[in-house]
Amino acid sequence: MTELVQNLIDGLGRGSIYALLALGVAVVFGVMHLLNFAHGELITVSGYAAYAAFSNGWSWYLVAPLIVVVSVITNLLIERIAFSRVRGSSEFTQLLTSFGIHFLVAAIFLMYVGARVQTFAEPGWIADTYSVGPVRVEVFDTVVIIVAIVTLVLTAAVLQRTMFGLSIRAAAADFDAARLMGVNSDRVIRGAFALSGALAGIAGIFWLMRAGHTSPTSGINPMLSGVLAALIGGLGSLKGAVIGGLALGLAEVMLRTWLPGGAAALTQGVVFSLIALLFIFRPGGLVNVAHAERV
Amino acid sequence: MAARSLLAAWTGNRRREAGLLFPSLRRDVAFPLAGAVVLFAAFVGAGLLYTLMVEGASAEKLITAMFIDAIMVIGIQIYVGNTGVFSFGHIGFGAVAGYAFAIFAIAPEDKYTRIPNAPWGLADVEMGPLPATGVALVITLIVAVIVGIGLGRSGARSGSVAATVITLALLFFTHEVAASWNELTGGERAGLTFGIGDTLQTRTPIYLALFAAIVLALLFARSSIGRLNQAAREDNLAARAMGINPVVQQTIALLLSVAVVAVAASLRVYEIGSLLPEFFFFQYTLLTLVMLVVGGRNGVTGALLGVAVITAVRESARRMGSDGYEIFGLGLDGNLDWVFREGLPTVLLGLAMVVFMIWRPNGVLDDWEVDAWLWRRFIRQKPPAAAVAAPEPDALDLSASGVTVEFGGFRALDGASIEVSNREIVGLIGPNGAGKTTLVNVMTGMVDPTSGEVQLGEMGLTSEPSHAIARAGLVRTFQNLRLFSSLTVRENVEVAALMASVHRNGGTPADIDAIVAGAGLWEHRNRRAGQLDYGNSRRLELARAAAAAPAFLLLDEPTSGMSDTESLAMVESVRNMAAAVGAGVLVIDHDLNFITGICDRVYCLDQGRMIAIGTPDEVQADAAVKAAYLGEAAQPGEDRT
Repeated sequence: MTELVQNLIDGLGRGSIYALLALGVAVVFGVMHLLNFAHGELITVSGYAAYAAFSNGWSWYLVAPLIVVVSVITNLLIERIAFSRVRGSSEFTQLLTSFGIHFLVAAIFLMYVGARVQTFAEPGWIADTYSVGPVRVEVFDTVVIIVAIVTLVLTAAVLQRTMFGLSIRAAAADFDAARLMGVNSDRVIRGAFALSGALAGIAGIFWLMRAGHTSPTSGINPMLSGVLAALIGGLGSLKGAVIGGLALGLAEVMLRTWLPGGAAALTQGVVFSLIALLFIFRPGGLVNVAHAERV
Repeated sequence: MAARSLLAAWTGNRRREAGLLFPSLRRDVAFPLAGAVVLFAAFVGAGLLYTLMVEGASAEKLITAMFIDAIMVIGIQIYVGNTGVFSFGHIGFGAVAGYAFAIFAIAPEDKYTRIPNAPWGLADVEMGPLPATGVALVITLIVAVIVGIGLGRSGARSGSVAATVITLALLFFTHEVAASWNELTGGERAGLTFGIGDTLQTRTPIYLALFAAIVLALLFARSSIGRLNQAAREDNLAARAMGINPVVQQTIALLLSVAVVAVAASLRVYEIGSLLPEFFFFQYTLLTLVMLVVGGRNGVTGALLGVAVITAVRESARRMGSDGYEIFGLGLDGNLDWVFREGLPTVLLGLAMVVFMIWRPNGVLDDWEVDAWLWRRFIRQKPPAAAVAAPEPDALDLSASGVTVEFGGFRALDGASIEVSNREIVGLIGPNGAGKTTLVNVMTGMVDPTSGEVQLGEMGLTSEPSHAIARAGLVRTFQNLRLFSSLTVRENVEVAALMASVHRNGGTPADIDAIVAGAGLWEHRNRRAGQLDYGNSRRLELARAAAAAPAFLLLDEPTSGMSDTESLAMVESVRNMAAAVGAGVLVIDHDLNFITGICDRVYCLDQGRMIAIGTPDEVQADAAVKAAYLGEAAQPGEDRT
């Protein structure tokens, strides 16, 4: 029982980060129908920015907002340079564009900063725990969960209450119809990339705190988690993305605990295969957003 | 059938004998074989020329690797190019084959040092490289069957996310298994190694495999299976409406493609002499995908060009990084250390991918192919004799009765019934939103009715899959044109005729040229359907439907967007076409002149119900029809049926 609660909290902490990443993936998918394999590169870029800032003696309190800003700017730049030029192309083209960017960003860092893993100090409180009855809770998990909840509430407010949010939700439901209704597609898409970048930035703060290092290939894991969680949630669905993130976090922790010794290393592969099965037997994901084709 | 056509080719039978697998022996077998020889000679020639100019072991290694990459990329091309389904998983299949090959082919004494505890006594197995390749092939094909069933179930088609996810899952799963199952694979660090001197020493098997792969890919693209795949790639829905079942065709493409990939992977492992999980993972996926898309994923020529270009670019980047900025005596001035350094080859790959996707997503050559070019260049095609009208078929009725369709709370059709015989042309009119297209969608299996039935003669068609309905003889056109836009005009018709010759005419091929000429499209036959103007596109869609040898043609607004003169011409086209194939016609249109000009009987639909049936004049005079069209209130007490 204690172990279960412990795992639950672990999973929720992990899942909150995934939820933020997945929400970013889903927001972009909603407006562009693009499965963004370059999403994790936002964490690579902001990771190096953080490393540079630490080298200049900045503290985490300054670095955290820097990470969010860098992530937003990077995402807007990527949209401007590449994605805006393949807008309306086939899914095939868009997908490969993002796949190319994923490698391009990593290779640029490899070329100009080097393959070496750059470490930086984690904040002092990261390993602190406190007890609630028999359960030991990490301060880190608590902070992550609280920040994620606040972020999600804010995002929900933006999406529900503002004109911009309405456009994004309308675009996610039916982009063509939204455009015909006068939604400015340029602004919505850029807005979606900014929002997605901000969410990745907030997730990135915790991702980097936990990792304590960055390297040219450090974008791949956050990318996979974000994409996988968004897939579980049915991609276009924003609510689904959050659920998908939490589900992925919990599934990872549970699988790691329950899979027999040698198989524990297979966690990611198992999760991936489960998602593939989900797609085979329920193509819409947990939240169904099957797009009917108009004839 | 295939055997018969091949036999005919070998015995020099020059008669135009049509096989089901290869519609034309000269165009679909002889020319691709000639094309394969040309491509193989050019590609291998270029590689060997390089080894003559740049001597040394590393140049030899480079060219060997290029040949193997070419086999791998052609393998991927067979699936991705023909089906349009994007796959991340082919390198995953490569991993399966690579490990299977290594585990069987490495000598036991070498296995005892790395994987002495391999399960099922695999460490003791001793096998030559050739049988080991066979074992790898079989194992990989078994995996491919499983993945193929999954892809089929998920409804994989061009651009579908499900296919991306399933294939990506395969790539990751194989990688993780390879990285963590140390007893079998040697794990992530040590891996597997051949004994010294046990690796591939000659290029002969590579040449053989490369030539076989080119032949296979070209023949496949020209085979009827390849053509059906290409049609489904262009428009999945229209393909199904023509009677094509994309799932079956795609699965065949997948198996063929995976077989080539498995051989390539075995060769790659055998040539390198060792195997680590990362050999078949993201980096190699990127490399092969870039090679595929740069030249043009829809053709074998493009795939080979991409392999050559990317190999050259990577090698120059690498050499300039290590030996200074000089290649073939061409020097560069200035300090370029900031460009030529570690990581540049990967930057170039990523850049090539992004730039090509933005600038030319179909690659340099798109689907340009040597054999098709030779065919167009050297074979003069004569305009065909006029088609012979089909003999009058037995009487057959198509009926839909009591069809109700509800979308959520909205009732699009409310107990609508219609009956058409195959000797008449029947019109279906009604104001916007009356449910006309929905009725045709129900009859062609694209929408499941909430209740009601569709019958063709004695056969129940209710909720059957679209392709089965098309094979039964109901073929439709679409309101918003759905042509196979990057296939040529003739190929559009040919695909439909292929389906018809298998499922409708008992093996007798239709005279494609006569149909194309009959539709007035002879001079456009080699143009891409996507390049036609609007009127010709409409005519092509009609010709394609007619080539499917239907018992009934269902035309959804064939004159939409046409001028009066064009609609009038369309009356003739539809009449002639229906007479030529001996089909009944159900036509939806808004244009009352068109409808009265062509139809024997007319049905009028309003708000999901049939409100009038009769001759065109009767229906036009009907008060309820006037009311529905002009918005006048129907006279009280008037009978609304």
